[in-house]
Amino acid sequence: MNRRRFLATTAAALVPTITRAHGPTRQKVTLTTEVAAPPEEVWAAIGNFDDMSWHPAVFSTQGNGGNEIDATRLLTLGQEGGPTIAEILYKYSAEKMSYSYRITEVAVEVLPVTNYSSHLTVKPRDGGGSIVEWRGAFYRGYPNNDPPAELNDEAAIAAITGVYQAGLDALVERFGAAS
Amino acid sequence: MRWSNVLAQQVRYMLALGLGFTANVALADIAYITCQNGEELSRIDLAAMRETARWPLPGKPAGVATGTDNDLFTVSAGSKVVRRLSMETGETLSQITLEGGPIGIAFDPRRERLFVSNWYNKRLWVLDSVTLRVEAELPTGLAPAGIAISNDGRILASADKDDNQVSVFDAETLQPLRQVPVGIRPFGLRFAPDGRLFVGNVGSNDVSVLDASTGNVLATIPVGERPYGIAFAKDRAFVSNQYANSLSVISLETLEPEALVEVGEYPEGIDATENEELLVIANWFDNTVSIVDPNTLSVVETLETCDGPRAFGRFLGGGRQ
Repeated sequence: MNRRRFLATTAAALVPTITRAHGPTRQKVTLTTEVAAPPEEVWAAIGNFDDMSWHPAVFSTQGNGGNEIDATRLLTLGQEGGPTIAEILYKYSAEKMSYSYRITEVAVEVLPVTNYSSHLTVKPRDGGGSIVEWRGAFYRGYPNNDPPAELNDEAAIAAITGVYQAGLDALVERFGAAS
Repeated sequence: MRWSNVLAQQVRYMLALGLGFTANVALADIAYITCQNGEELSRIDLAAMRETARWPLPGKPAGVATGTDNDLFTVSAGSKVVRRLSMETGETLSQITLEGGPIGIAFDPRRERLFVSNWYNKRLWVLDSVTLRVEAELPTGLAPAGIAISNDGRILASADKDDNQVSVFDAETLQPLRQVPVGIRPFGLRFAPDGRLFVGNVGSNDVSVLDASTGNVLATIPVGERPYGIAFAKDRAFVSNQYANSLSVISLETLEPEALVEVGEYPEGIDATENEELLVIANWFDNTVSIVDPNTLSVVETLETCDGPRAFGRFLGGGRQ
């Protein structure tokens, strides 16, 4: 049973359709999942900025600064020597079980987005268990008009959705589906 | 004659006597937040400081304008539908689909007109605010976005984003008066209580202050990155800076920047309560609203709302007590 819920994977364009002559618009993706374990247990596993080992696509995390604001981490994807993503922490609350970070450096061939920021949050679920919400906002990989297909808004949304989905699926596997 | 017409007549009479425009209307302070991603309308009671309803609102809603007599107007940019909703129940009372690119919206209570900007066709639609039938179209520059009506009801203005100008009209006769060059890519605009028009320029990160009746640009004030919305309280202008996650505070006396207030991430729609004691800001990325005290310049509350709040327009008012 798939308990993942797509809350929204939609363009944020205020204008009615694609922006044509107005350049890219900021996109937003929100995915949530529900797991059986209590929030404290889930947060203990995913609430450390310098440890992304819970995500199946991450081979290693090299952290600097722990969970302090402006801490950084370098994610290596897939395998040793794989592509990397550099990120910085800009908000952290153990009490709210939430942290926010930005990507400072990534090749658009690795993740076709620019100006990416994200929140990861664990909340209690009515009836027991936890809700994990992963939310991102970003621009597509191509900054100008008429992007190539692999760097357009749809490609950016699809890529981020895929990353979140894989991470949240792994959490359901690890902590059990909420019932 | 409709009830609302009678009320409008009374209001005109009171204005003629120099009485306060809202003196005969007891308003609770309620925020109506349009959420573009979640396709919902969130109703937030500022007395109780909590969300009291969340209603479905399809078609990627962004534009909003509070009306009188329990009316709320919304623009769904995706489905191109303008709705008149009940503030109490959220139900649709009337609606119209507008072919083109409807975005911004403003309500003229004196003449029961609604203005909607047509992003793609250099026009404003003029609608009857009850039936939502199109009564007229007005010419603007390229990509009109925000619309505002002066507090004395005499002037209508649109921010024409891709022509870097503001179009000014006589709100009574609907005659075009002038087009005024402003900063780069103006998007949101609003009239200050003293009648000056403040225009946020997202491309040049500043605010143009105009005398709309003469077309004179009185000042250009630097603000934070990507100014989106403008509201007024306590002799100050407050500008939401999308990229800077802050409000720029400008003194209406000196037109100088006074302070910055940190709010949520990607702040957009902003409005002030009637008594000027609170400001409400919709944070698009955080799915929250920040409630700010315009006296102390501090955030007094942060409340959860629906996904992707934009609240582009006047969204505070109503819910008759």
